[in-house]
Amino acid sequence: MSITVDARGLACPEPVILAKKGIEENEEVTVFVDNDTAVENIRRLAAKAACTFSVLERAAGTWELTLKRTGAAAVQLPAGANAGDDELCSIAVSGQEPGPLVVILSDNRMGRGDDALGDILIRSFIHTLLQLKPLPATIICYNAGVKLTARDSATRGDLQQLEKDGADILVCGTCVNYFGLGDQIAVGHISNMYDIAETMAGAARLVRP
Amino acid sequence: MMEPQKFAVFLFSSVRQAMQADNILSDKGIAYQLIPIPLHISKDCGVCIRVGIDQQDQVAAILQGSVTWERIVPL
Repeated sequence: MSITVDARGLACPEPVILAKKGIEENEEVTVFVDNDTAVENIRRLAAKAACTFSVLERAAGTWELTLKRTGAAAVQLPAGANAGDDELCSIAVSGQEPGPLVVILSDNRMGRGDDALGDILIRSFIHTLLQLKPLPATIICYNAGVKLTARDSATRGDLQQLEKDGADILVCGTCVNYFGLGDQIAVGHISNMYDIAETMAGAARLVRP
Repeated sequence: MMEPQKFAVFLFSSVRQAMQADNILSDKGIAYQLIPIPLHISKDCGVCIRVGIDQQDQVAAILQGSVTWERIVPL
C-alpha cells in the first residue's frame, strides 16, 4: 500500500515524523516538503530504515520524496516517543546549517569529577578538533580556558595548528589579566566581551566540551 | 619540501597508565603528545602517547620499569 503525505509548511521535526509514521505503516510513502532540511532529514530516515529513497524537485521550493521498503519485513525504527526523530532531525540540521561552528573553551579541563582526567580529556578534545570538517570557525577561550593558550600549555601546539588552518581564536583579555598570563599567551588574539558575545550570538552551533 | 614527521604511539592497558606516562614524560621534558587513540587502531575511547618515531626507543627506555605499555604502533 502506498500513501501520500503533504508536509509542506511544517517545521522540523514534523516532516520526518510524518514520513516515519508513513513508512512504518505502508510499503511506500510519498512526502511533499518545502525545505532542504526536511529533504535531508528524510533522506537520513530512509537510510536508517533501509528504504529506497528518491527525490524529485516538483517546482521551485517543492520536493517530492519517495520512500519504499526494500524487503517484505516491516520497517524497524527505534521505538519510543520521539528520540529517534530528534536524533534524525538534529544531526541533519546541524549538517545543513550554513552559519559558523564556534567552540567554547571555558575551562582548562573537560567535564567535572577528576581534574587529572579532565586535563587529558581536554587535550584529546582539542587534538580531535583538527580532524573536524569543517573546522570550527572560531574558538573562544575564557575563564580558566585561557590557560590552554599559554606557552607552556600542552594544548598550545594543537591550538596553533587550528589557527594556522583557519580557526579564529579569541582569548578573553579580562581572564588573561586575572590569571597574570599577559606575557605568556602563545596562540590566538586577546579579545573582549563585545567580540565574544557577538561571536557567540552569531554562531549556528556552539560546542562546549 | 620537508618530509612529514613520522610518529609512533604507545598504547596502555588503562587510562591511568597513560596518565602516569604523561607525567613522567612531561617531567623529563620530552617532546610528545597525548592524543585519543586513532580510530584505525581501536574504536575504544582511550588515549595514547604519540612520539616522533626516532624517539620511540628513548621514550621506551624512560618508561621502562615505571609504566607498562601494551604495544607500540607506528602511525
